[in-house]
Amino acid sequence: MIKMENGKWKMENKLKKSLSLCVSAVIFLSFAFSVFAQETPPKPSAPKIVKVPVVKEKKLANGLTVAVVERKNVPLVTVQLLVKSGASSEQMTQAGLANMTASLLTKGTKTRNATEIAELMEFLGGSINTGAGWNSSSVTVNIMSDKLQQAMGVMSDVVLNPTFKQEELDLLKSQTLDNLVYNLKQPGFLANYVASRYSFSEHPAGGTPASIENISQVDIIAFHKNNFNPQNAVLIFTGDITAVQANALAQKFFGNWKKPESIASRKKNLSVIQVEPRQTMPKRILVVDLPNSGQASVNYLNRVFVGRSGRDFYPASVLNSVLGGGYSARLNQEIRIKRGLSYGAGSSFAWRTNETNFGTRTQTKNESAAEVAELVLAEVRKLTDSSVSSDELSPRKLVLTGDFGRDLETTQGLAGAVSELYSFDIPTSELNAYMKNVQTVSDAQIRDFAKGNILGGDLVIVGDYAIFKDDLKKRFPNRQIDVIKADELDLSKTNLRK
Amino acid sequence: MRKISAFLSMLVFAFVLSQTAFGQVKILPLNIKQRTLPNGLKVVSLRDNSSPTVSVHVWYNVGSKDDPQGRSGFAHMFEHMMFKSTKNMKSEMMDRLTEDVGGYNNASTWDDFTNYYEVIPSNYLETLLWAEGDRMVNLNVDEKNFNSERDVVKEEFRQRILANPYGMLFGQYLEKLSFTTHPYKRPGIGNLDELNAATPQDANEFYQMFYRPDNAYLIVVGDFNQAQFDAWTNKYFGKISRPTDAVGRVTQNEPDRTAEKRHMMTAPNVPFPAVAITYLAPVSKSADVPALRIAETILAGGESSRLYQELVYKQQIAQEAAFTADIRVDRGLLYFYAIASEGKTPEELEKSLLAELTKIQSSPVTINELAKAKNQLITRTLQEREQNDGKAIAIERAVAYMGNPNAVNTDIQKLQAVTIADVQRVMKKYFTDKNRVVIYYQQEAQKQ
Repeated sequence: MIKMENGKWKMENKLKKSLSLCVSAVIFLSFAFSVFAQETPPKPSAPKIVKVPVVKEKKLANGLTVAVVERKNVPLVTVQLLVKSGASSEQMTQAGLANMTASLLTKGTKTRNATEIAELMEFLGGSINTGAGWNSSSVTVNIMSDKLQQAMGVMSDVVLNPTFKQEELDLLKSQTLDNLVYNLKQPGFLANYVASRYSFSEHPAGGTPASIENISQVDIIAFHKNNFNPQNAVLIFTGDITAVQANALAQKFFGNWKKPESIASRKKNLSVIQVEPRQTMPKRILVVDLPNSGQASVNYLNRVFVGRSGRDFYPASVLNSVLGGGYSARLNQEIRIKRGLSYGAGSSFAWRTNETNFGTRTQTKNESAAEVAELVLAEVRKLTDSSVSSDELSPRKLVLTGDFGRDLETTQGLAGAVSELYSFDIPTSELNAYMKNVQTVSDAQIRDFAKGNILGGDLVIVGDYAIFKDDLKKRFPNRQIDVIKADELDLSKTNLRK
Repeated sequence: MRKISAFLSMLVFAFVLSQTAFGQVKILPLNIKQRTLPNGLKVVSLRDNSSPTVSVHVWYNVGSKDDPQGRSGFAHMFEHMMFKSTKNMKSEMMDRLTEDVGGYNNASTWDDFTNYYEVIPSNYLETLLWAEGDRMVNLNVDEKNFNSERDVVKEEFRQRILANPYGMLFGQYLEKLSFTTHPYKRPGIGNLDELNAATPQDANEFYQMFYRPDNAYLIVVGDFNQAQFDAWTNKYFGKISRPTDAVGRVTQNEPDRTAEKRHMMTAPNVPFPAVAITYLAPVSKSADVPALRIAETILAGGESSRLYQELVYKQQIAQEAAFTADIRVDRGLLYFYAIASEGKTPEELEKSLLAELTKIQSSPVTINELAKAKNQLITRTLQEREQNDGKAIAIERAVAYMGNPNAVNTDIQKLQAVTIADVQRVMKKYFTDKNRVVIYYQQEAQKQ
């Protein structure tokens, strides 16, 4: 939980994005220099085309989809089993169930205990990671290609034969609770945690102290039985492997995975809610008071009634790149680069099937929390009432396509991109359409999307309230400010208080 | 709790070992080209056209250890200034040349060095060589930018050190309490007072002293034409003159420790006590480093590692337990740390960490543990080499810690050659009672 690289307390200039392929694109850079003696940078040569790989797909007799992307430059393979159920399939009272089920897969099978599983995978030099997000769960192996057979044996064992022993559940619960206590001391985490309930009417996917206590072995076994089956899963291979080899391994290690007796239909949220434009900015103001917090976390959050597979995905993605996706996006320009008020500011959409969570985030000294809140709201509003010039728009699109291309350079990034599409039942041909779809988004589409979706969200600030209370009241006169003490927070209550 | 041993599974491995200890996967050497320009700039290049991108790194031999007196945190703050205006570039123009064309840039300040890097579509290579050459010699430090960037760094300090419950331990106390003499005792992030004291004049002096061709490496990996690259390098870097004065170097040596020292530290909002136990390490060029890396992996690499299995899994006294070989150019640190589980004490953590130390000193690690550590390190190397930037980072590390880019191709062989006896020998050599500093870190007393 304390992240350090190579044991160093390394300081980077910028918050790091995912590592590394760049997308060439035809762009004309114009540099306007007024000083005579200045040099101008040399112009780029002709761009080269980025190859986006092709996904080869096959279905086994038991219904398991197998997807393969070959990439031969390094002798590594990533294998990911995607299960199309995640935290959205659990109740608030059992928040954390999907994640705990995934975590316990590697903690014991009918023939191997937790230590043996870790020992074997690590002996092979590989790793096996399990987890659950909102829409899906996954088991991911990254391994040298000559050791793939042995690793697949372990992988299929943990998926097909987990035992979910009570003592392992007890240990995981106490670890999860300790980790929560640690995270709830951090303003950034706390803001997302409370927003899941307050602004998004969901629950935190990692659970709450009460919900974690509440989860039993019976619940875990049932979650696994109901969701882990070949018809609800996709086995993805990326890297140094051919489709023929991958299909043979899939058959060998997952061919005997039984179909469910009755097919549980995937939880579908069919509500199509027509919302009237929400113009009050912000709709509500919530402060979580964390005394002695080293900084304040300032967030604007809004539920957006569009889904990942709909046509709004691309306008929303480009809007995000303009507002808060990357170093030179507007939020970071205004808050960090122009005013030195933060180390970084950004925004993102957490995509769902039908309704999606939009949020901005930044941390600043407690003294400037209210000032930063005003800056954030002004940038959100600006998207709805003024256009994005093509000089600004073109580079922000290239940021998206560049990041996308770089993600596909590693076997793990490639598996993640393929997996995301499957988790929303989007055809994998979309990988090849991504760059074009981004390029064709217009300024008008962005503004239409903004007007219909991003206003009327909540302002949530977590920090040492005594320090910014007066300034917040001054900057938001006549507005109700709801204040909850961090140690009185209880997400299971409607008023969020113990 | 059932009894679980990390070593129960020996039989399973007999089979595995026969297939994998001499695995087919080979790490191919990186075929690097090197030259030195007349002004002293060292250039390392590696062609790889598997993607139409190129990674450009400029590495400067200046790090946090070179912070001026009374200016702790300065090298890092100066690194931020390198993204501001130059004679030929407006502030943030580096972002226009990278981010805006689908690439990215960043920089990081380490104890011993500072690096600036970009990953860009390869048709922009010439543009970026021009830009890196420009900021090596033409930086403008103006007061307005300086003050604004100081505020950014102060927010970075608050975010990393103050808002994180364990920030004070790992970002301040660990170094302050582990070194007595060497500038490593001053944390690289600095502190708010010394950041406030810094001036643009300091920045100009620092720039003149350290940012110069004879104190730098240009490392380029990716899709380029060698002859064209060489010509561009001559054009954009060759014209920079070499200063006549010598580069200022750290001369202090950290002396041997003579007796165990213990410290009780506190901070607000610390949910669970933590313990760190540090020992002075050998310098990065020491022949003992590869064995320490293997020991690091055996003690702390993954959930099958000794510390996880013992403290987290069996005894359940820690939520995290680790060992780090923080090897630096001068003597760095070898340290254990653990964060307690609910209700557990720092005394319990210390006792169990030291028991693991005694175990690895008094009996040899197993042949399986040694093979496992090597397999893990090979996989990590392969992962790093999936992308051009990873290869550039590996070359940079060889430059920084071995003073020689060719070490990128020999380090892995040195790890492969480590024996069981080597591991035991280095664990006895450095982990002595008198070389120990123990830090307890807990919640401060509540204010009345």
